[in-house]
Amino acid sequence: MIQIEQLSKRYGAKLAVDNITFTVRPGLVTGFLGPNGAGKSTTMRLVVGLDSPTAGSVTVNGKQYARHRAPLHEVGALLDAKAVHSGRSAYNHLLAMAATHGIGKSRVREVIAMTGLEPVAKKRVAGFSLGMGQRLGIAAALLGDPATVILDEPVNGLDPEGVLWVRHLARQLAAEGRTIFLSSHLMSEMAQTADHLIVLGRGRIIADSPIAEILAAASTKAVRVRTPRAQDLARLVTRDGITVTSVEPDLLTIGGLTPTQVADAAARSSIALHELTPINASLEDAYLALTANDVEYRTEDTR
Amino acid sequence: MTTTATLPVSAAQAARQTGLQPRHAVTFRRTVASEWIKLRSLRSAVWSFALIVLVSWGLTLLVSSASEADGSYLTAAEQVEYVFQAATFGVFFGQLVAAVLGVLVISGEYSTGMIRSTLTAVPTRTSVLVAKALVVGVTTFIVALIANFGAFLIAAPLLADQGMHADLFRDSVAAPLTIAALYLSVVAIFALGLGAIVRSSAGGIAAALGAILLLPIAVAMMPFDWTRDIASFLLMNAGMESFGLLVFGMPSGMESWQLILVTCAWAAVTLLVGVVLLKHRDG
Repeated sequence: MIQIEQLSKRYGAKLAVDNITFTVRPGLVTGFLGPNGAGKSTTMRLVVGLDSPTAGSVTVNGKQYARHRAPLHEVGALLDAKAVHSGRSAYNHLLAMAATHGIGKSRVREVIAMTGLEPVAKKRVAGFSLGMGQRLGIAAALLGDPATVILDEPVNGLDPEGVLWVRHLARQLAAEGRTIFLSSHLMSEMAQTADHLIVLGRGRIIADSPIAEILAAASTKAVRVRTPRAQDLARLVTRDGITVTSVEPDLLTIGGLTPTQVADAAARSSIALHELTPINASLEDAYLALTANDVEYRTEDTR
Repeated sequence: MTTTATLPVSAAQAARQTGLQPRHAVTFRRTVASEWIKLRSLRSAVWSFALIVLVSWGLTLLVSSASEADGSYLTAAEQVEYVFQAATFGVFFGQLVAAVLGVLVISGEYSTGMIRSTLTAVPTRTSVLVAKALVVGVTTFIVALIANFGAFLIAAPLLADQGMHADLFRDSVAAPLTIAALYLSVVAIFALGLGAIVRSSAGGIAAALGAILLLPIAVAMMPFDWTRDIASFLLMNAGMESFGLLVFGMPSGMESWQLILVTCAWAAVTLLVGVVLLKHRDG
């Protein structure tokens, strides 16, 4: 359980996190979504006490992170794949982390096996691929068998098989009743993993709702129809579950029907259609719509 | 025995199945254990320690075998002094290696990002730097003891051939050889503190070597009387004099233990500032 209340973080002139409040609950995978520079990583750093908040509070499992006597048993965090000394082997890195909590070698070998690092465990981290680095970061996060797991962009640099593995791991950990909080800047990734979604843009919360709701809102199908007999067509198709909105006198947006159904209905009444356009709001569209005004770095439209 | 099948699994089995394990709090002792694993698992650290020993022994071997002095003209005390100086020749070089090592132990964590793992494992932070100081200090001390006593055992028989006699046990050289080892360990901790302050390898090493080498030279070149008093309190000058070597000019008039305290004060100051900054800075 992560509880964040009115949290702000300022770096110099830049307000990286702007008065955010939310709760990450156990038993679910909570996705933390936002464009690059939205403040996701900063928020996660604040959760584990690497940075101190300018205002507000963060607690994990009921306490400030630094007040836990055995923090690695409470929270496991992959904040950055490059949070490892590159001159040390994966095994020795995990061993050193484990030693702070009196965690034995058997557990170190266990997480190495869990993350598929056995073949490279004794090699120096300097030679690791991005994917191997991610696996090592995840191994470190799982070392203390924590009730709360925080993963910042865990699928970055992973091959398709690795992406699938992270997805399953997150689902499995949540099924065990743990709190899983993972960030991504990719909506498609979140759609396949998360139960709940928190969307961040320019340090502020844009959305905080179950993924099902966001999916439902995003996947609504609609058809745009242009016809001189707009009113007749509207009357014709209106029934339960169908929404008809009119933007211009001869333009309708009909929700809940396929283009075929609209065309057939129009043909039966000899209504001429001048335009028939299916509108498929994709997840990415929904995400882009949510964050349209909150993107930190934007490419200029080419004219 | 159908009943056994329905019995709950043993606590140990249950623990293994759910991935649970006995949970221990972070303690200073465990933090020290972790820092020891970190130190011994870095090639750069292992090489630094090997370098301190090998250079010390190598230089002593070179100086002793190249020496053409005739011991018969020297008093017994002067003979012991000669052998002792040959044995501690490597300290000049060793202090530089100890300084670089001390900086890298902490700056390497910043340059690689390791510090984030370290601080999430031990969020109280203060104990991290104190544990590092303890581990680096003790290890450097032991390595320097091996370097210094080994060098003496190399120098003594070689110089005995030239009529210079010194005995490790009969003549009082064990104490200054130990103090010389202590000086190297204090230098490592001083540099560790600097590394924690500047958080960069290049900056830390420059600051450490500057404070050790350039400061005494700069002060020695100043044409004022009062600079001579300051000079005695500089890290290298005080450190070298604490085991009987005078780098620049006149003896300070301080006792050995007082000079040891002066060197320790240098390390204490950088370490203290490092701890305070680590505690309050983001990172």
